Amino acid sequence: MTTAMTTDEAHKNTGMGKDLVVYLCMLALAAIQFVIAYQDISASQMFGRMLSVAVVEAGLALLFFMHLSENRGLMWFVLIFTVSVVLGMQYGWTDSFRILGGVPWAK
Amino acid sequence: MSQADLTMQGHSTAAMAEPTFSVPAKKMAMWLFIIADTATFAGCLVAYGFIRNSTPDWPRPFHSITNVALMTLILLTSSLTMLIGVRSAQKGDKAGAFRWTMITAVAGILFAILHIREWMGMIGEGATLFHNPWGTPLFGSLFFSITGLHLLHVTGGVIALVAVGLRYKAGRYRADDLEITGLYWHFVDLVWMFVVPLVYLLNLAH
Amino acid sequence: MHDTSAHAVHHGVPTSFIRKHVFSLDHKVIGKQYYALALVAVVVGMVLSWIMRIHLGWNNFAIPGLHLLSSTGAPGNVLTPEYYLQLMTMHGTIMVFFVLTTAPFAAFGNFFLPIQVGAEDMPFPHFNMMSFWITFVAFLVLVSSFFVGDGPTLGGWTQYAPLSAVGAVAGPGQGLGVVLWASSIGIFCIGQLLGALNFITTTLDMRTKGMSLMRLPLSAWAWFITSIMGLTAFAVLMPACILLILDHVAGTSFFVASNLVINDQVLPHSGGSTLLWQHLFWFFGHPEVYIAIVPGLGIVSHVLITNMRRPLLSHRVIIYSMGSLAVLSYMVYGHHMFVSGMNPYSSLAFSFPTLVITIPSTIVVLIWLGSLYGSKLRINTASLFALGFISMFISGGVSGFFLAQPSIDIMLHATYFVVGHFHLVMAVAAIFGIFSGTYFWFPKMTGRMMNETLGRIHFWLSFVGTYCIFMPFHYLGIAGNVRRYQAFTDDYLIPLIPVHKFITIAALLTGLAQFIFIYNLIHSRFKGALAPDNPWEGTSLEWSTATPPPHNNFGDKMPVVYHDPYQYSVEGASTDYVMQTSPEQLKNAPDEK
Repeated sequence: MTTAMTTDEAHKNTGMGKDLVVYLCMLALAAIQFVIAYQDISASQMFGRMLSVAVVEAGLALLFFMHLSENRGLMWFVLIFTVSVVLGMQYGWTDSFRILGGVPWAK
Repeated sequence: MSQADLTMQGHSTAAMAEPTFSVPAKKMAMWLFIIADTATFAGCLVAYGFIRNSTPDWPRPFHSITNVALMTLILLTSSLTMLIGVRSAQKGDKAGAFRWTMITAVAGILFAILHIREWMGMIGEGATLFHNPWGTPLFGSLFFSITGLHLLHVTGGVIALVAVGLRYKAGRYRADDLEITGLYWHFVDLVWMFVVPLVYLLNLAH
Repeated sequence: MHDTSAHAVHHGVPTSFIRKHVFSLDHKVIGKQYYALALVAVVVGMVLSWIMRIHLGWNNFAIPGLHLLSSTGAPGNVLTPEYYLQLMTMHGTIMVFFVLTTAPFAAFGNFFLPIQVGAEDMPFPHFNMMSFWITFVAFLVLVSSFFVGDGPTLGGWTQYAPLSAVGAVAGPGQGLGVVLWASSIGIFCIGQLLGALNFITTTLDMRTKGMSLMRLPLSAWAWFITSIMGLTAFAVLMPACILLILDHVAGTSFFVASNLVINDQVLPHSGGSTLLWQHLFWFFGHPEVYIAIVPGLGIVSHVLITNMRRPLLSHRVIIYSMGSLAVLSYMVYGHHMFVSGMNPYSSLAFSFPTLVITIPSTIVVLIWLGSLYGSKLRINTASLFALGFISMFISGGVSGFFLAQPSIDIMLHATYFVVGHFHLVMAVAAIFGIFSGTYFWFPKMTGRMMNETLGRIHFWLSFVGTYCIFMPFHYLGIAGNVRRYQAFTDDYLIPLIPVHKFITIAALLTGLAQFIFIYNLIHSRFKGALAPDNPWEGTSLEWSTATPPPHNNFGDKMPVVYHDPYQYSVEGASTDYVMQTSPEQLKNAPDEK
């Protein structure tokens, strides 16, 4: 292995402690999801809370495990691209509620 | 992250423009694949949500979360071992990098075994793609489709980890290749963060 | 420096026939393979449309030999109603996937994107080769459905559930035919994913020295933006196709609601949603429309600028407009579903972005017209087809304003008005883009010029013929002529039959005129005049290399780029145009940064 992996690897070697912290945070967030599952709330509330936690978890994984935080340009490219596509898929929900309730929005 | 990827491609770095985002082609391709795969999973999860929403008596058959909690723990930890492997490779510690990559692969296999054990349990209770004892048959259809898609990704990931790990050990692949495989593995982990609450925890019996 | 790599671009000049012409890794050969596939597909699709048109004009007309295609579908050489729908489905599917997606995007993009960015090849030549052959297999799987079971599916290229999901009970081709259709499209998606990976990484990572993103020609930008749409659109269609296949072979019912009765049988399905298929399909389907047309925008801009001998009013605004088309294309898909029983609030939410998406399209058209105004356009076949593209794009686009509004769409939906709209704005416009690109780049691709006289005859016949076919569709639609009917027996439809006869005759003649093109293509390939390196005096990188380009595109020396792509009529320059690779210093270069 010649000069291949040298240029910008140096600053990455410091981050092992940070990885561990991120890992523990993600474990804690995963645990929170399981706790939410046992709360006595409606499915939609549960859905909202769990999804929020999952988004935070995904953000941590993207930024630190997948090193997006070290490359702002790539981060914006990936985020804008993915988020706009995923958001575009959310139009269908009103139909699923209406099939159930017979009215445009959930009762 | 270096220009090295480009220099091997026939003409010297000096003849190329700086890659956009300073990401060489192979890593960029992995990111693009991840974006496309996100759309695939999102499409499946939206389909699941759509049907779950529009079904009044959606079954909630799960009683125990021990297995899925264990699976989550294993997959999350395997992400950490992957990171350690990649960092070892970047430091030049070849033996360590190979060892941690294989540990990650073993964790993946463990995850798959637990997953299949859980499937067998559900199939034993009478759940299939088109029928289940708890209510609408679509529960089984969606459960097996989505977790099956994820299991397929885990299986592919394990194969990739072993293949890339061995080639890395043999000196045919570099630290960057290990890092790119790691990206995929973290993505599989990331998707699981959405599959668990939506497919398992929302369907927990109270 | 490095001995090995999984995807090293540098591959030697192939020696064996198979590596050279069949499983080639060379992006130029793969581009030509895609072009050939599209050419075969377009002929198949066109012949299918002829059969349909003849049947619509003269309902009992026996087409000699038709029973050879299907003895049950065309007994006595006359189409059965079901077989009419089966041919229509295959026409739509073949045209949309294997012509409009492959020709302007995969064929020209493969050949010219690496050259225009100044690369030796794409970063993953093996993926590129697989991309073509996977697409080829997808085509074979689709065409095979003609010859198995009771023929191809009759569900239309959109395969709306529940018709597509309930199986053989719904009619001929709805069992095995749908499974083959969905398999074919699923396979196609994999091929396009591999292609898109290559296109995007080529643009981002393989540019030569001095080639900044803003110095890319508009055609390269168009392919780049298209591949970004393709990456995610096909990634959603693939699981949708898999779910559809599961509904057929695994007994699931994702897309079939409970208690559905078809032909007096209660189906065993329960619980699914028919609207779900439409949501998943159109989430792919609308970006797909732009996947078909955006490469045309790029090609036409490129051709026009070269022939106008001056840059467009704005280079950047065209890029931004194509980019906004891509983003907005994900937000408008519901306008295909205004009458599907969709939530009325959703109709409102879809109508607004649908009207907004006309803005970037209009900006592009206005920039073209403004730039053309007062220019000394060089008239040749390529620039004529570029003008034809603009004409089709405007004519077809204007009817989009009507269809974008739910209240008007309720009346016009599923009539010939819609058929006329999308054929003009997406299908024929894209095909005019392909023609323009073919006449423009043929010299570079093959080393020979195409026959100009035949080209102009081809243009005028196609241009007039296309309007004769598709303009009357609008009148038919406003008169209430519903699409997908195989015969017009209702009182209000009978007076419209002469219009259909006129359209049929126009379609047959226009179709025949295309054989002039095919003759020109094949004859020029072998007997055409030898082409110089830069026949159109263009400035972008494809014109600075040999004709046809050598295996690694630029020979021994990689090009270095000094200028924006379109330096025409620059004050103080020694010639009418300044190549991107020319080190000449320019004082008053427009757009120079």
